[in-house]
Amino acid sequence: MSLLSREILIVTGKGGTGKTTVAASLGLWAARAGKRTLLVECNGSRQIPTLFRRASEGYSPTRLHPDLSAMSITAEEAIEDYVVKQIKVRKLYKMVFRNRVMGPFMDAVPGLHDAVHLGKVYDLIEDDKTRGQPNWDLIIVDAPATGHGLHMLASARSMMELTRAGPVYEGVKLVHDVISDTNRTGLVLTCLPEDLPVNETIELNDHLRAADHQVAGVVLNEMSDVPLPSADDWTAHGPSLQTSTHPEVQEAAVLTERWIARRDRQLTAKARLEASIDAPLTTLPFLMNRALGFAELDRLSHLLADSMEAR
Amino acid sequence: MSAQVVVCCGSGGVGKTSTSAALGLALAQSGHRVALLTIDPAKRLADSLNLGAIGGTPTRVPLKNVSGRCEALMLDVEETFEALIRRVATSEDSAERILSNRYFQFASTRLGGVHEYMAAEKVRELALSGEYDFVVVDTPPARNALDFLRAPDRIAGLMDGGVVRWMAMPATRSGWRALELGSEAVARVLRRLIGQSTIGEIAEFFELFRDLWEGFHVRSNELKQLLSSDQTRFFLITSPAPTARSEALFFLDQLDDFEVPFGGFIINRVESPPLHDRDPSPYLPEGLPEQLVEAIRIVPEKQRLTAEEHSRSIQSLLSAGPDGANHWIVPDLGKPINKLDDLLELASHLPAAPIP
Repeated sequence: MSLLSREILIVTGKGGTGKTTVAASLGLWAARAGKRTLLVECNGSRQIPTLFRRASEGYSPTRLHPDLSAMSITAEEAIEDYVVKQIKVRKLYKMVFRNRVMGPFMDAVPGLHDAVHLGKVYDLIEDDKTRGQPNWDLIIVDAPATGHGLHMLASARSMMELTRAGPVYEGVKLVHDVISDTNRTGLVLTCLPEDLPVNETIELNDHLRAADHQVAGVVLNEMSDVPLPSADDWTAHGPSLQTSTHPEVQEAAVLTERWIARRDRQLTAKARLEASIDAPLTTLPFLMNRALGFAELDRLSHLLADSMEAR
Repeated sequence: MSAQVVVCCGSGGVGKTSTSAALGLALAQSGHRVALLTIDPAKRLADSLNLGAIGGTPTRVPLKNVSGRCEALMLDVEETFEALIRRVATSEDSAERILSNRYFQFASTRLGGVHEYMAAEKVRELALSGEYDFVVVDTPPARNALDFLRAPDRIAGLMDGGVVRWMAMPATRSGWRALELGSEAVARVLRRLIGQSTIGEIAEFFELFRDLWEGFHVRSNELKQLLSSDQTRFFLITSPAPTARSEALFFLDQLDDFEVPFGGFIINRVESPPLHDRDPSPYLPEGLPEQLVEAIRIVPEKQRLTAEEHSRSIQSLLSAGPDGANHWIVPDLGKPINKLDDLLELASHLPAAPIP
C-alpha cells in the first residue's frame, strides 16, 4: 500500500533524526503527486514555514507551495476549538477555561494535551467531509520525539480509559479508531544509521506493535554517499598506503579508513533495522549544507519519491 | 553538605547520554563519589556504560585503579513517586489511601510533568543524601529538559491554585463562588465535557493529596535553592551543526528565566581538517583500483569541508553565548561510543572539574 494513499501520516522518531525534514519532504512529494497536503507541527513549533522562507501563521494554515500548507497546533488552541464546538458559545469558553484555576486543572488530565492535538488532526480530515468538501487529501504530522510521540499516539486510548463514557469518550474513540486504522493512518519512523538510534527505533517499533500500531515506513537519514572502495579492496591496499613515505598519502589513507569504517557501521545499522522492522526502508543522504532550504527539501522529496514508488 | 549538581541538557542525537556518563566517570577518576542519573525514558545509559541493566537503585560502575566511585541509576517514576508519598504523608493510612486511588494509579505515570518532577525529586534526594560529592544528570532532549526545571513549580501550582480547593468541593455552589468562577452553567459545561464520575475521582485524589501539600512545598523550595545555587551548573551538550546556535539561544534564554547557573558548552563529534593540503594522488603506487584512487583524492577534501563547516558552526554557537563562556570541543572519536573504554576516552576531553 502506497504511503500517499493514506489520509494521515504521523512522522516520529528519536530527537535529532530529522523528523521535520522528512515530514516537509514527504509533503513536497505528496503535493507534487497532486494531493492537497497540510503539514502539522505540534506544541507550537513553527520550523516548517521557516524552511520555505515563509512566516508562520500559527494555528491558521500557511501556504508554502502549490498544494502544500503548514500549520502549528498548540494544546490551548485545540482545546478552545474543541470546547467552542461542543458548547457553541465562545464567551462561555472564556469564562470557564481562561482563568487561573482551569489551567492547572487541564494539566491534571493525563494525555489531554496530546489527545487534543490528534483531535484537531481528526477534525481537519473529517469535519469538512460531512460538508462534502474536504480541504485536505493528506495531513502529515511532525510528531514529538520518541518518548513523547508514543504518549501522543497512546493519548486517545488514555483519555478513553479515564473518561469511560460521555461526549469526550465518544470523541476520542472516533479519533483513536482513525489513528489505529492502518489503511487511513500511516506511521513513519525516522532514524540515523548509528547503533543507539537504531536500538531505539527497534524498541519504538516493538512498543507500537504492542499497541496495535503498524509502521508504514522507515526513513534512515544522513547516510554517507561519498563513493568509497569496497572493504576487500581496502584490506588489500589500505595498510601499505597507511605506511607510505609520502605524508599526504599516509594521512589520506588514515582518513579514508575512518570514512570506510563509518560507512560500514552505517550499513550494519541499516541491515539491523531492515531485519527488525517489517516496513519499507528508505535512505536519504547526508547533506553537507545542513541549513536546509527549498532546494535541499526538493532534492530529498525526489529521493523519497523514487525510493518509495520503486516498491 | 549537599553534593554538587551537574545537569546535562541538549537536543537528541548529540551524544548527551554518553557525555553525561563520561563526565561522571571523569569525576570518579578525580577521586569523587558520583551519582549518575538518567531520566531519559529511552533507557540508553546501560547500553553505553556496558552495565547490562541499570535500575532505580545505584549500581557501581566497575572502574579499576580509581579512588572515587561512579554509581549509575535510572529514574523509576512509579517507585520514586510512591516513596515520596510515603515519606511526606502524615500517616501510613493516608499514604495507602492515596496510592490506591484510581486516578492516582492512572495518572502517576501518565500525567505530564510527573516524569520530570520525579527526576527533580531524585536529584534532590541524591544530592542531600550525603553519599555523593557530585550528582550528574542526563536529561531528556532540549525542550523537555526545561520541563525538568519547571516541573516542581508546576506540580506545586496544581496544589496551590484554587484547583485543590475546587476539587475538594466539587460543583457545589459555595465551591464555585469561592473561586469566583461564575454559575451553575459553568459546572454543567465541565460535567458534560469531562463527566461527573471522572471529576469525582480526581476530586478525591486532590482531597487526599492536601495531606502532602506541606511536604511537597518544603521539597520544592529545597530543590529550587539547590538548582539555582553555586553548587549547580547546567551544561549544553551540542554538536557542530548549523542548528546549534538557535538551540543555544533558546536554552540560554530559559536558563536566565529560571536564574540557574550556566556551566558551558560541550561540543561533540567535531572533525578537524587534514594537516596536508596537497593532492595525494600523484604519489600513489600504480595498479590501485580506480575507486580507491578516487576515494584517496576525495576524502581529504571532504574532511576539510566538514571541518570548515564545523569550525564556522562553533564560532557562531560561541558568539550566541555569554562572553567568555566555557566550552569544550570533543573530537569525533571515529567509532561508536558503546564500551566503558570509549567513555573513558571521551572523558579525557571533558572538564575534570565542571564546577570551579
